[in-house]
Amino acid sequence: MLDSALNVFRQGRNLARLMEGLWVTLEISAVSVLLSMLLGIVVGLLMTTRKPLWRAAARLYLELVRFVPILVLLYIFYYTLSRNWGINLEAKIVAVLVFTLWGTAEMADLVRGAATSLPAHQRESGRAIGLTESQINRYVIIPQAVRRLIPGVINLTTRMIKTTPFVFFINVPELTKVGQQIVEVAGMKNYMASFWVYAFIFFIYFAVCYPISRFSGFLEKKWEN
Amino acid sequence: MSTAQPVLRIRDLHKKYDRLEVLHGISLDVPRGRVLVVIGPSGCGKSTLLRCINGLEAIESGDIELNGESISSGKTRWNLVRQKIGMVFQSYDLFPHMTVMGNILLGPLKAQGRDRREVTREAEQLLDRVGLLDRKDSYPRQLSGGQKQRVAIVRALCMNPEIMLFDEVTASLDPEMVREVLDVMLGLAERGMTMLIVTHEMAFARAVADKIIFMDQGVIVESAPPNVFFENPVSDRARRFLNIFQFDGVKKEEQPHVES
Amino acid sequence: MLKAKIFRVLVPALALMFLAAPALAAGELAKIKEAGKIRIGVFSDKPPFGYVDENGDHRGYDVYLARRLAQDLLGDENKIEFVLVEAASRMEVLESNKVDLILANFTVTPERAQRVDFAKPYMKVALGVVSPANAPVTDVAQLRGQKLIVNKGTTADIYFAEKHPEVNLLKYDQNTEAFNALRDGRGAALAHDNTLIFAWINENPGFVSGISFLGNLDSIAPAVKKGNTELLDWLNEEIVRLGQENFFHKNYDATLKPIYGDTVDPETVVVEGGVLE
Repeated sequence: MLDSALNVFRQGRNLARLMEGLWVTLEISAVSVLLSMLLGIVVGLLMTTRKPLWRAAARLYLELVRFVPILVLLYIFYYTLSRNWGINLEAKIVAVLVFTLWGTAEMADLVRGAATSLPAHQRESGRAIGLTESQINRYVIIPQAVRRLIPGVINLTTRMIKTTPFVFFINVPELTKVGQQIVEVAGMKNYMASFWVYAFIFFIYFAVCYPISRFSGFLEKKWEN
Repeated sequence: MSTAQPVLRIRDLHKKYDRLEVLHGISLDVPRGRVLVVIGPSGCGKSTLLRCINGLEAIESGDIELNGESISSGKTRWNLVRQKIGMVFQSYDLFPHMTVMGNILLGPLKAQGRDRREVTREAEQLLDRVGLLDRKDSYPRQLSGGQKQRVAIVRALCMNPEIMLFDEVTASLDPEMVREVLDVMLGLAERGMTMLIVTHEMAFARAVADKIIFMDQGVIVESAPPNVFFENPVSDRARRFLNIFQFDGVKKEEQPHVES
Repeated sequence: MLKAKIFRVLVPALALMFLAAPALAAGELAKIKEAGKIRIGVFSDKPPFGYVDENGDHRGYDVYLARRLAQDLLGDENKIEFVLVEAASRMEVLESNKVDLILANFTVTPERAQRVDFAKPYMKVALGVVSPANAPVTDVAQLRGQKLIVNKGTTADIYFAEKHPEVNLLKYDQNTEAFNALRDGRGAALAHDNTLIFAWINENPGFVSGISFLGNLDSIAPAVKKGNTELLDWLNEEIVRLGQENFFHKNYDATLKPIYGDTVDPETVVVEGGVLE
């Protein structure tokens, strides 16, 4: 019975299709995380400037994006933009855009936290031993800021991977949707197919996210000193 | 001695924070191998003076010379000047992500580009001198406050500075740790290090100083050898300041009531 | 599969659509030809109408028609960009110009006809009642006082609640739950879209479709963006043309028959030439 149930992975290109779905998931997550990190650093630093207007703008952006559900953002950028303003964006672009908007807000908050928690005299200590400003950034400020950021960034990455199934909403066939397609076809004859396919998907998410969070734990432990 | 060029020469230094003038025309010389101790009430500008010397604060006017060369011209390449001026702060300012050794080597290797083996040997000698050689691979959070300040001193010394500036380095320490840090500084004085020290430890000041500089409200009020200053201060302000550190006895039987 | 939570009635709007005057200015057909492909919204997980098979190829009754339309419009049945749609997003993708055409088991309703334009139908759907082969239910009268399994909010649920209050309804959320309940004998029969029932009984030999045709007859048709009359007219002509060669019966034989088997009369499902009987 197990053997026949597992046949679902041997039929045609089913396994390859799941992997292609995983690739879509990882592609969207990876690009979004990367962009979020870059933009999040900019927005996060804006939040720490002394210019109240910049700070207010960054704050507003952060609160807005965080409180609007992802599905609503996907809807607005995929459907509303095209219907009401004729801006017809490709689904994957919309996915990356929305995840980046969200990730940037999260990242900005992390950066703000890391930047404000670094004491000012770390920079002065660097100056006092004759380091140039760029050497201070390189050897003193950035390593410490990165250490403070890494756990949050990794947490954000896994959350992003786990949120990608939402893109089914704008018709992108990522891992979970491919799984559903397979289940609905194979399930007509194979009642255990849905169990095995979803168990497999569960395993894939675990296999992807677990090492990432373990890596984070490893770094935290390493840098605890 | 008076004809020799001082390591540090300051002339008519003025410094403002916004509109508040905190230094009004400070002039002083620190000759080679001498120890000057700056004392005075809080807010008198003594910490600001140290911060101006190594460029952590911009100055309004006046001149600062290091070994006869002006370092207040505006074209000063501070990263080079600061290699010759060691500074230790009140707050524990070690880099928390580096070991003791990493903290000490950073400046000599990156700022001065010296040979790692040579600097490591020197760092180990210095650590040994302050009794912390066995902690060279520890991280700052594993050290006590006194140990951290001793490492901070070694970090500054390892740059082979012309002069050392100490900005109330024992002010944040628990009393039992003050001594170990002061002993290190006394040791430096014995070895002929040129030093400019800001402190509230009067007994230490008296023991270590070649000259006491008393500052109040942004000016040098009095400057004299320690025994002269502590026993016969000339100015009222200095007398009032020193009185803060004196206590009248309160045990009635032993201490006859003299004044009313 | 056909999760019809939508209120169904016969469609007076269809007539209106057929009368609509073509707006020649649109140039929609020219645009498609210029792009060299037609964008068609299909289901990817609703066999046997629109699904992706184990090799990753689009299949099903809707897809079979989609390929023929591409062949006739662009001269190549592969000049299609398939956009995978969900039941809930079918109108949105048209309105937001993500697709030129929807072929996704789209039941015509007056509400929907206000937002999109339906072409002539190519399929029809009614309610069916499935029951165990050894105790077949062939007439609604047999259900009086009996338990009938339905899915909450579906056409079957609404129909029986309104028209046959004498039947006790046992309601489930999911299709699989409902069919499992029937298998476990928790109800005398189960009512659902007949197209879904046909597919299910073929895989479950112990059950029969005692009533294949009940309630309102709904039609399933291609849909285009509101006002895209050029493509709509072409579709309507095309559906009539295809009817002349009995295309939809061929489609049935190729895509639905392997699922439904021989027991189902194709005439209960297929609409040929856009004429609903």
